[in-house]
Amino acid sequence: MSNATVVENGAMGRVAYARIAPNEDLVLGVEKLCLAEGFRHAFVRGALGSLVDACLGTLDGKCVQVKGPAVEIVSLAGEVRSNDDGTLSAALTGVVADTEGNVFGGPFVAGANPICMTFEVTLEEWLPALAKAGM
Amino acid sequence: MKPSAQIHRPRMLIHPGPFNPIRIQSRHAAGGRHIRLALTPGLSLFDAIVKPLAAIGIKNASTTILGGYFDSLEYCVARPDSTQQAVIAYSQPIHAGRVYMIFGNATIGKNQHGEPIVHCHAAIRAEDGSVKGGHIITHTCVVGNRPIPVLVTSLDGFELRVTFDPETNIPLLQPHEESIDE
Repeated sequence: MSNATVVENGAMGRVAYARIAPNEDLVLGVEKLCLAEGFRHAFVRGALGSLVDACLGTLDGKCVQVKGPAVEIVSLAGEVRSNDDGTLSAALTGVVADTEGNVFGGPFVAGANPICMTFEVTLEEWLPALAKAGM
Repeated sequence: MKPSAQIHRPRMLIHPGPFNPIRIQSRHAAGGRHIRLALTPGLSLFDAIVKPLAAIGIKNASTTILGGYFDSLEYCVARPDSTQQAVIAYSQPIHAGRVYMIFGNATIGKNQHGEPIVHCHAAIRAEDGSVKGGHIITHTCVVGNRPIPVLVTSLDGFELRVTFDPETNIPLLQPHEESIDE
């Protein structure tokens, strides 16, 4: 699916719920969930859980590191997309709370957000309508 | 907090129980039923979610709380477990007073005794103006005087049940085949 597509029609498909175990990465774990369920595109419809520490990306390629354990995930949204090279990528954004309840937000950096105790996530499959030739 | 140029290497925690080689427990339904729920003023967050959904036969769901005021709200944060029975334990409830819930997610399932359970995390603006987040004590939170909209995605064909997780040594919500006693 090209990133150049501005308007993508489609429909919602299956709904999956998962519990992802400790020390798995948040972003890669959501991608693996899509592999497990056979989803090629999906939206996050609900998620909560905790991280050991959180790593939230910044525009200049740096990150905000939030020290735990645990860092609670208090808000999360995002999607999983199939790439042109046949791979899957999850892009997840959210708000986390540290051990004092203080909040931080941003995009979760893939590979740098290990789950602490559990992560519950509901994904809704997105089924893009087939693009017509020449569009 | 100042951004760091370095991406920190993830820390791998050692949990008290045996490592479970199954890292992702998942189930799916052929489709999701969606419901717009309005949380009733004056009810606890727990009752405002569980009762109207039970009335239409929904016992397992993933929900998004779309923001609203609460007359009273308590939350917990997650800190290292001083008893060392688990890596992490929830703190004592923190009373945040009259709050605005900015955004929340709540999962509805059942506990070990078959009773409804709501697991909710949310970001809030506390009565003192500070923005906080954590695990919400849904039984003690009281919905304010305006209904709060919630988007519900019903999970059909399987159930969410609290079961003991040997690895972390705590009970956790996990997806299971539907109980035949339903």
